[in-house]
Amino acid sequence: MSLKVAIVGCGKIADGHVEEIGKMPDLARVVAVCDLEPLMAEQLAMRYAVPRHYSDLGELLEKERPDVVHVTTPPQSHLEITRLAVDAGCHVYVEKPLTLNHADSLRLVELVEKAGRSLTVGYTYLYDPPAVAVREIVASGALGEPVHVESFFGYDLAGSFGSALLGDPGHWVHRLPGKLFHNNIDHMLNKALEFIEDEAPEVAAFAATRRAHRFGDVRDAMADELRVLLRGRKTTAYGTFSSHARPAAHFLRVYGTRRTLHADFVARTVVFEDAPKLPSAIGRLLPAFRTARRYAGEGWHNVVRFARSDFHFFAGLNRLLRLYYRSILDGGPPPISGREILRVSAAMEEVFRQVALGQGKEGS
Amino acid sequence: MKALVTGSNGFLGVSVVARLLEGGDDVRCLVRQGSARARLDAVFARSPGSREVVMGSLNSVAAVAPLLEGVDIVYHLAAGMRGAPADLTLNGVVTSKKLLDAVVGAGRPVRLVLVSSLSVYGVAELPRGSIIDERIQFETHPERRDAYAQVKLRQERLFWEYSERHGLPLTVLRPGVIYGPAGSPFSGRVGLRFGSLMLHFGGGNTLPLSYVDNCADAIVIAGRSKEAPGQAFNVHDDDLPSAREYLHGYRKGVGPIRSLWVPYPLLQVGASLLERYNRYSQGQLPAALTPYRVASTWKGFRFDNLRLKSLGWRQRVTTRDGLARTFDDLKSRNLP
Repeated sequence: MSLKVAIVGCGKIADGHVEEIGKMPDLARVVAVCDLEPLMAEQLAMRYAVPRHYSDLGELLEKERPDVVHVTTPPQSHLEITRLAVDAGCHVYVEKPLTLNHADSLRLVELVEKAGRSLTVGYTYLYDPPAVAVREIVASGALGEPVHVESFFGYDLAGSFGSALLGDPGHWVHRLPGKLFHNNIDHMLNKALEFIEDEAPEVAAFAATRRAHRFGDVRDAMADELRVLLRGRKTTAYGTFSSHARPAAHFLRVYGTRRTLHADFVARTVVFEDAPKLPSAIGRLLPAFRTARRYAGEGWHNVVRFARSDFHFFAGLNRLLRLYYRSILDGGPPPISGREILRVSAAMEEVFRQVALGQGKEGS
Repeated sequence: MKALVTGSNGFLGVSVVARLLEGGDDVRCLVRQGSARARLDAVFARSPGSREVVMGSLNSVAAVAPLLEGVDIVYHLAAGMRGAPADLTLNGVVTSKKLLDAVVGAGRPVRLVLVSSLSVYGVAELPRGSIIDERIQFETHPERRDAYAQVKLRQERLFWEYSERHGLPLTVLRPGVIYGPAGSPFSGRVGLRFGSLMLHFGGGNTLPLSYVDNCADAIVIAGRSKEAPGQAFNVHDDDLPSAREYLHGYRKGVGPIRSLWVPYPLLQVGASLLERYNRYSQGQLPAALTPYRVASTWKGFRFDNLRLKSLGWRQRVTTRDGLARTFDDLKSRNLP
């Protein structure tokens, strides 16, 4: 059986959803797309030959009766669309960030769970090949116990999304409580929180703005640098969101009691770092070569993946979707639990509460 | 006549504003908040006519409505040129709809002049050497074209739909390759650059060049013409060079550039392989070139601007002078 999927919200990210679902016809197929702006729904349907498009979600739900609704609208509407979809008996995939605040996230998770439907959220990097590899290595015990985690998420404000929000003071990102951070730091926090067991680790955060004020409006109030410290009973974490550091890196470092692991989400490499095995100067000479050999190995591994057509940009989204659809078809638990979603949401809320005082401050 | 110019701060926009001011029009320039407007200010310094600059956007009907106060004619030049297909649609088509809704809401006959593109024509299946004039049909397979062509096509159709439904007097200009000082050095019709190497696909194909000031002339003449509403006009100059001649002129006037000529049949084979690989690998590499897109751009067509001339348009800057000015500018900008 293949699940009937509807996409609600036809912006840029919806392309990725339709493309990846198209690769798993045994599990799911897109039957319709919807956007309040009919021209946006039309363009997506036209480019991917989706059978029907709508500008009214109620009409879509009634006529198409989808099994799963993907909510790819701005977060301001996630809760309401989820409610409509769940009332129509649908499972929901909600893009990140889940909602505007933790109270709404609690409501959203509760309403899906109460209805006996399945929920997942767009934490796609948790399913990218480096994240999967790190998870397996940590589970194998090769690192020992995680002591500290460093999660770095670089951002380029000159990119197409950054340009869009800097070009428009009415952009929905400016209306999020956490502004630019709100739209991005799920990706930074969820990878760190995975290794912290505490229900609600301590959070310390500060933000700053490095850009010069150009507009004299809400855009100048958008901070662009964020540092977060998370403290659990056994494990701590740093989170860095940076719009200015170059290259715009995206990595996770897990410091274990035995070894340290560096996972690069841009180059898709996962490399161990360990202590010198020989004494004195000789011992300091060798690790560079050992690390170089490991990177070369990862490079070749990626070449092989490329040759096998297994090196796609949306690898994480693809994997998450397969796991999610499979869980629906088999009646199993969703790949990301409600608890995980809410821990991220709670940490985000605390970060925004703390940095609200610092938004707009110059320098970092 | 009071004119609203959207995209007034862009490469073509500043020339259109200059022409309108020279002609004594009262011009309202729409400029995005925060964008650099040095070139527009330079036009104002040269032309003393009546003008005002309004910072704003076309993101909502409510935002557009006040821009239309007292306006007799709208020159719609604004277009998003960057980003994903959805972004281009949002910035090119959805904004057009807001503008059109505001014009309808104004409840009076505001004239519309849309700057569209030659890319709206469905030419892929025409024989090589066909003449592209305004009688050629719209593209019937937009899904097979690139995002820019898709957006320009949908935008123009939307304008015609509104014009028909609401009786709006609409004139459409379809420029080819707009070039000139401060413009970009190479159109995709010449070829594509990969680092320092130009893959030269255009070969002996005619380049439908339109010098920026000549294009602005065409737009303003069409805007003032009583016969133009209801019609579309191709916009390009005469004495057009081939892509190869343009490249040769660039080398002489600007400097050396490494290029590799890819003959059309070879390009078609390459595009076909790329399309197949894209399908086989499930999109690991994008199908940026497909046989259909290659045919639409590089098959080799001739172009016709007779209808534009029938409005009284004459090429003010010769192609020779236009190219010389452009190459001088490119040299002074020291572009890579």
